[in-house]
Amino acid sequence: MSASDPADDIATFAARVRAELADLPSPEKETLLEDLEQHLAEITAEGAGSLEEQLGPPEQYARELRAAYTSGQPPVDPVSPSLARSLQEAARLTASNWYREIRAFLPSLRPAWWVLRGYLVVLILAAFVDLGGGSDLGPLPSPFSKHGIAQILATGFAIWLSVRLGRRRGPLPQLGRVLVVSANVFVVLVAMFVLGNMRTLSGVSFDSTASQQPPFAAAFAGGPVTNIYPYSQDGKPLTNVLLYDQDGQPLTVQRGEANTNYPLGADGKVITNAYPLTQRHANGDPVVPPRVALPPWPSTSPSASPSPSPSPSVSPTR
Amino acid sequence: MSQAELDTTQLLKGALDLAVLAVLAEGDSYGYDVVRRLRDNGLDHVGDASVYGTLRRLYQEGALNSYVVPSEEGPHRKYYGLNVRGKKTFEQSTRTWASFSKSLNQLLNGRNGHER
Repeated sequence: MSASDPADDIATFAARVRAELADLPSPEKETLLEDLEQHLAEITAEGAGSLEEQLGPPEQYARELRAAYTSGQPPVDPVSPSLARSLQEAARLTASNWYREIRAFLPSLRPAWWVLRGYLVVLILAAFVDLGGGSDLGPLPSPFSKHGIAQILATGFAIWLSVRLGRRRGPLPQLGRVLVVSANVFVVLVAMFVLGNMRTLSGVSFDSTASQQPPFAAAFAGGPVTNIYPYSQDGKPLTNVLLYDQDGQPLTVQRGEANTNYPLGADGKVITNAYPLTQRHANGDPVVPPRVALPPWPSTSPSASPSPSPSPSVSPTR
Repeated sequence: MSQAELDTTQLLKGALDLAVLAVLAEGDSYGYDVVRRLRDNGLDHVGDASVYGTLRRLYQEGALNSYVVPSEEGPHRKYYGLNVRGKKTFEQSTRTWASFSKSLNQLLNGRNGHER
């Protein structure tokens, strides 16, 4: 480099240094280089020989500058100590062996996730299509149900699409990546909700007036209990006897083939545990109370009279 | 570059901040003068770019203040000096260095007898 004009020397050297550091983020670069020329002028004034003779090639000077400026010092605005600690913890975690093993293992699960994703998407769609419908929705589509066949075909198609999406070559653009990740998260969250509510959904579709309580499911030799006929001690049939279990919950029975007419309370709520239930067969005939063989009581009757006094009686057969 | 030089460079990398702060603790100074004073104190390997980069970084971190002093015969000089934060950093770093070098000296003395 010619030592003809110091100003030229400085300008050339500075330009080559700047070119080397062009990739630094803008505010940092400006702080670092804003008085580079001034500094080089000091050297020119006090040292001997051209800048390149004193400092070496500008490219090397730039490398050294970059290293000194960006060496592991705390940044201008140090992050809060707690955040720094969490970052350290995270770094230690990600450096651990088991984390690396899991990271190495996860990619092998990708095809399974693609299949699951296709299945979940159709499951969600089926749940939404079905909301008002009322076919029995389960985690696996039944080939015998109304929409089952369609759901199976759609699941196959969705899995094919999902796998195609998963096996695509080359990275997606930034926006595409964000979209796919958000969609994945959305599918998982909604699918968790749908699967979690599956029982409730099928319950709703079963009978909208169904009680929320699990039925009193005692199954006797003759089959499930579908109605209860209470009698007083002296053999009189009682009506509208309210039964509760040990937790104070209304006792309900299994639904049989007969339709039940539950009375409505004054508050508009269905009373499901007033026995005997008023039931009609599917053909409209009222269900006839069974003949019962009342046990003979011992001559000394218990001191407390168990006979309940049914309050306002509804007509027994309706 | 020999192995010994490489080691000095490595050592300097960690200690250059402290060395620059120590020079400025003696009095405000400009870039080329800081380099000269470091070399006068035996740090022959220190590069101009390393010192200048360190000055700019310390300045950006808020440890230094700076002002331009016009010069009659030569170019204007940009002086750097320790501010309150810089003095605090210098004191802390000095303590850290003292305890570090004490530990290392003990370690070396334990192995090689008494030589410093």
